[in-house]
Formats: sequence, structure tokens, C-alpha cells
Amino acid sequence: MASTKPQDTTGSAVPAEPGAPAGGGVDREFGIRARSQRQQIVRRFLHNKVGMTGLVLLAAMLLFGFVGPLLYSTEYASQNRNAQSVSPGTAGYPLGSDAIGRDLLAGLMQGVQRTLLIVAVFMVIALPLGLLVGAVAGYFGRWVDSSLMRLVDLILTVPLLVVLIVVASNFPELRTPQGVGLILGLFGWLDLARIVRGQFLTLREKEYVEAAHALGASDKRIIFKHLIPNALGSIIVWVTLAAATAIILEASLTYLGFGVNQANATSLGRLVSDGVQAASTRPWLFYFPGIALLLIVLAINLIGDGIRDAFDPSNRRVRA
Amino acid sequence: MLFFAIRRLVGAVFVLLGSSFLVFALCAASFDPLSRYYTLQPRPPEAFFDNLRAELGLNDHFLIRYWNWLTGVLTGDFGETVNGTPVADQLFQRLGVTARLITAAVIIAVILAVVVGVIGAVRQYKPSDYAFTFLAYLLIALPTFWFAALLKEFVAVGVNDAFDRQVLYTLGEETAALGLYADGWELWSDRLAHLILPTISLALLSFAAWSRFQRAAMLDVLGSDYMRLARAKGLTYRRTVIKHGLRNALIPLTTVVALGIGTLFGGAIITEQVFVWNGMGRYLLESGIGNNDINVVLGWLLVSAVFVVVFNLVADVLYAVLDPRIRLS
Repeated sequence: MASTKPQDTTGSAVPAEPGAPAGGGVDREFGIRARSQRQQIVRRFLHNKVGMTGLVLLAAMLLFGFVGPLLYSTEYASQNRNAQSVSPGTAGYPLGSDAIGRDLLAGLMQGVQRTLLIVAVFMVIALPLGLLVGAVAGYFGRWVDSSLMRLVDLILTVPLLVVLIVVASNFPELRTPQGVGLILGLFGWLDLARIVRGQFLTLREKEYVEAAHALGASDKRIIFKHLIPNALGSIIVWVTLAAATAIILEASLTYLGFGVNQANATSLGRLVSDGVQAASTRPWLFYFPGIALLLIVLAINLIGDGIRDAFDPSNRRVRA
Repeated sequence: MLFFAIRRLVGAVFVLLGSSFLVFALCAASFDPLSRYYTLQPRPPEAFFDNLRAELGLNDHFLIRYWNWLTGVLTGDFGETVNGTPVADQLFQRLGVTARLITAAVIIAVILAVVVGVIGAVRQYKPSDYAFTFLAYLLIALPTFWFAALLKEFVAVGVNDAFDRQVLYTLGEETAALGLYADGWELWSDRLAHLILPTISLALLSFAAWSRFQRAAMLDVLGSDYMRLARAKGLTYRRTVIKHGLRNALIPLTTVVALGIGTLFGGAIITEQVFVWNGMGRYLLESGIGNNDINVVLGWLLVSAVFVVVFNLVADVLYAVLDPRIRLS
């Protein structure tokens, strides 16, 4: 054996490439296809009923918000003095209209778009901030860790909603979707930093990090190429749950008057909080936006749970 | 154990000090006590502003102002509102109102969460489990104020119609000015009737997350070896679940609840706003931010920080007491 294939014995172990190794005798015999970890995770997610329900639901809402306006040409901004507070089903107003004659269906479509914009702005700010702070604290440890985490602890001693209220009350010019996304993002990274730090504290003790160190990899390379990919599961789950929280927080802020409250600004939260005042007199303004918001948040939460199960199937006790 | 508790206590004091500094910095940067005079027509002369600044001590260095405020707070003096009344009296009266709400909500939420969580775990993947899971998902996805409005709209009106008199109230924490002439049973039954709906709306939202947590903890315990051992010894199923399972599965929940009380403090703002409760939440919104009153906001933030820090401490200590496996190093 050794004389016929010397390279097998002298070389190191076969590299663990994803996909089927070419001509692997054992594989052919048992008919097993090797799957990379990513493939397994995606597969588990696709087989997860909860996660897929959420994905379908979210896709439907996104279609409604972004493709809907292409099919339904009524402008939300256009007011009609002759059709104020008409009930659903009135000609030209499938879901009714509000007190100044704006079409609710068009409003919902725009609201979904704006809410997504808020989430996007929030993520663009909070995700890098939280990742960076958490990664630096968890990787370098010592005084960096303790000072950064004490700071996070200190900020978290005041309920997040209250911090947002106090900050937002000083910037009336930020009462737009982008502005609310900005404020949410500036204070929404704290829990991500804690999560990433916790993950890094355990991950950095692993052998592969030591190996990367021994090979002379820089700190930057270890953080971005080795540690973050391995902490990806918790980060993605945070993204989904934080997106859902951001939508709810935006709605709450708007309800209290510190959110999307500028004259022409729209968001789902704005529609919901405007509708609350009309709960008994014009119920369509109350129910439709509320249900739309509920569906989006529900969908995102379901996706988050599906992803969590896909990354960590152990707590399910079901073979994937 | 004692050393652990003392060390945590000292740590908590330092966290509070840091937090008070942060809070003061946030407020000093956000609020200008003179802003309400800027818009006066005609505008007062500069000398007026200079006098006021000197009187309020705004010309002092930031750290000196912080020190003055902090020493005042430590002696129970939270400063005065813009209307010249002391903040401390109002703050603690409001705190009492909110404490009623939060205490009731926490008790209800914990009891419900434990019951539902245990049922969900014991009957995993049965229809009841699915129903509760679905309910929890719905509740987690609801904005507080929308759910509260729903309660006002359906539950309050329905119950009041059914009894043909006002049983549940949707506005205020007690009938206006009742506290002036009534006391004893009359006052407290009135307060109770006002308490029910806000409590439900606040409790159900935390209940949803906590019941999921309790279910997961219970599932963890149910699969453990000592449960199998207990059954093998011949204990009844009920006894193993309640004596061996539930008692262990409650440990993680205590921490979550203790930490969640701080969040409830924030959530109560919205509930109070919906039900027009004159508690802490509306004190912050109306008297504090509405009047641009720095002392009210400062006092509020400090009280909430105390709450959060104290309950973090309670969570730490409780966890160590309940689970001796935790190493106290």
C-alpha cells in the first residue's frame, strides 16, 4: 500500500473540504453525501416549519409593501375632502380612509416600506457597533473588556425606552423614519455587544484560535476570519430579534410622540398609534395597521426561532 | 456567601454612582432650564438670563453641578421643579402608584408563566402546548399600547355591559379626588377596579416571554437523569414533576424575572399613558419632558437606575442562593 501511494502516508490529513470528496471509496459504498456546515444549517432551516412559516409570511408582507404600490396606483399622500373617514369597501377605498381622506391601503404599503427603512438604518448602525465593541471586549479581555462592559452595564441601568425618549425629545428634526432608525441604532447595540463578547470569551480559548496565533495570524484576521464566522449563529438570531424589537420600539416611541411624528412622515407605527385613538369610532384605522404590524413582527420572530433551531438543533432532540 | 453578597453590594453602589454620573451628563446635555424664557415676547434682557444662570448655578463647572446635585439627592433633596415645588415628594407619591401596578403585574405574570410553562413542557407537542406557544408568539409581537387599547375596547366594555355597572375602569389610577374624602375599603376597592386592566395589559406582555422561558427550563429538567431516578425509585409522576422538576426549573426564571422588573419599569410608561395613570411614566412625560424640567427627569432616571441595579443585585444573590453549584469566586 505504502509503496504504491506514498503521498498519502507522508502528507498531512486530507483537508476537510465541503462537498463530496472526489472518488471517496467509503462514500460511494454507503451513498452518503458530505454536507458543509452551512449546507446543513440551511437545510435544517428549510425543513423547519416555524421558520419557513415566518419566511413566507415576511415575504408576503414585503411583496405587499414593495410590489403592491406598482399594482395599486393610489397615492397615500393625496387627500380627498369628499372621502373623509369612509369605511372599507367604499368605491376606490378598499380598506377605508382616514380623517383627511387618505387611502389606508396605500398608507399600509408605504408604512411597510418605511418600517423596513427604519430597520435597515437601525441595523446599519447597531450591527457594526455592537460587533466591534463586543469583539474587542471579548477578544482582548483584561481592562478593555472590563471598561467597555462596565460602560454597557451603566447605560443599561436606565430602561432603553426611557433613554430613547430623553434623547429623541431633544431632536424634533429626527421625527422621521430615518431619524428614528438613527436613534434606535445608536442605543440598540448594547445587547449585541454583550452577546458577542460572551461568545468570544469562550471561542478564543479554542484550539483553532491558538493554531491561528501560532501560524502568525494577526488579531484582525483571527477576529474576522475565525471568531465572527463561528459566532454567526448568535449574531443572526440577534439580528432577527432586534429587528422585531426595533419595530415595536418605533411604534411605542411614535405613540408617545417621540417617534415618526413629523407632519408628512409615515411608518406602520405611526399608522397604528394614530389608529388607537379611533379604535371605537373608525375601527378599520385601528385593526388593519395593528394587524399588519403584528404580522411583520410575528414573521420576523418566527424566522429568528427557526434560525436558532437550525444553528443549534441540540435543544430540539430531533435529528435533522 | 456573605462575602459574595457584600462584594456585590459594594459593586452595586459603584455602578449606581457611575450611572448617576451618566444620567446627569445625559440630562445636562439635553435640557436647558432657561429654554422656556427664550421664546418669550418681548425677549427678556440678557441681565435676566445672567441672574437666572447664577441663581441656578449653571455657570459652575459641570463636575461641581454634579457634586451639588448628588449631595442633594443623598440627603433626600431632588431639587425643585420648574414650578418651584420639591421633586422628591411628587416623585415618591408617583412611585407608589407605579409600584402598585408593577407589583400586581409581576405577581400575575409569574404565576401565569409558571403554570403555562410547566403545562407546555409536560404536554410538549400536544394541542395545549401549541395553543400556548401561538398565544405567546402573538403577545410578544404586539405593541403594548395596541393591546391595551384592545383591552379597553373589548374587555372593559364587555364586562361593564355584563354587570350593567362600571366594574372596570379605563382611565386613571383612582376616581378623581376620591383620596381626599374616602379611605379604607371604599378607596382600595376603587383602586383595585382601576388596577385590573392596566395590570393585565402589562402582565400579559411579560408573561409571554417568561412562559417560553419556563417551558424551556422545564423541558431541560424533565430530560435530566435525576428525574428518571426519581421515577425509578417509585415516586408518582406528579410528585417527580412538582417536587423534583418544578423546583429546579424555577431557578432560571427567578433571574429572568428579577432582571425583567427593570424593563417593566420602562414598559409601564406606555401602559400608564394608555390608561392615563398618574404614575411615574406620566410624571416623566408630562412634568419632566413636557415641561423641560431637568430635575424631574434626573430624579426619574435615578430612581429607575436604583430599581434596575437593586434587582440585578437581587438576581445575582438569588441565583447563588438557589443554585449552590454556582461557584462564588
